[in-house]
Amino acid sequence: MIDCREAVRRMWAYLEHELEATPVSEFEAHLETCQRCCGELEFSRHLREMVSEKGGPPVPPELRSRVEILLADGEPSSEGAS
Amino acid sequence: MARTRACTGGNERAMARHVEATVGAAAGSSVPGDRKPFADVARNHLDRLYGFCVRLANDPTDADDLVQETLLRAMRAYPSLRDPDRTRGWLYAIATNAWRDQGRARGREVRTVPFEGLDAEGDEFSLFQTIAIEDPFPYSDELHLDFLRLFRNDDVSAVFSSITPAFRLPLILTVVHGFSCKEAAAILEIPLGTLLSRLHRGRKQLERGLWDYAVANGLVTTADEER
Repeated sequence: MIDCREAVRRMWAYLEHELEATPVSEFEAHLETCQRCCGELEFSRHLREMVSEKGGPPVPPELRSRVEILLADGEPSSEGAS
Repeated sequence: MARTRACTGGNERAMARHVEATVGAAAGSSVPGDRKPFADVARNHLDRLYGFCVRLANDPTDADDLVQETLLRAMRAYPSLRDPDRTRGWLYAIATNAWRDQGRARGREVRTVPFEGLDAEGDEFSLFQTIAIEDPFPYSDELHLDFLRLFRNDDVSAVFSSITPAFRLPLILTVVHGFSCKEAAAILEIPLGTLLSRLHRGRKQLERGLWDYAVANGLVTTADEER
């Protein structure tokens, strides 16, 4: 039987579906008896969603233009770069 | 133009073989000759690649340089990419290596050694528990979810930038960009166990960072501050 500390350690790997069968069964057995870890698992799911949804900023038009020049010429453009 | 130019050719070809062997294995193989022109590939991946580079470089100008350097290296190595279905992981691996070279060129050595002793206290931090214990203002029936709703895109970016790079990278690759841990380990050229360990540490730094950021920027008010 694993404790809360170990359950928390496995939580994100569990959400990533990266745990092997035995660690998964131990983790899920712990959840059956631990309300706190159930809450933290749900919170972790939302936290991951929040982080993944906050994508990066849009590509600046200047960079997009330089990339097009790079792709056309096969070399990067020095225009506007520091 | 990109400030860091060099190391193209052999490194990327070797990396292509390594990443191809792992990343996107479920995607199957493409028929030789079906390969898209590199320009199409670059355009398809540009938005996400830029987002990755911004999170990686922590600076818009550096991110611009990194994108260009990545595409330049990739363009030269593209003919040696045997499985175009694995282009995405291959591009991210090139970007990661270019970022490391960028750091070295500026005298900032990117640490590649284990970090077991780093920030051991932060390893035990629990955002879930801290929110429950501190019960910050504004009060809510959905305390934990409302806490997360306080963060805008810029806030999350700021917190990400405070995470140790070696722990930040696994988070970016898996949580933000959706690579499996196995794929992320291949991109970073580290064992899966090391990746999982760093992912955990990154997650803990993220949790601590979100809490500290929320308090420091007045997103929440704790009982201590009200006294």
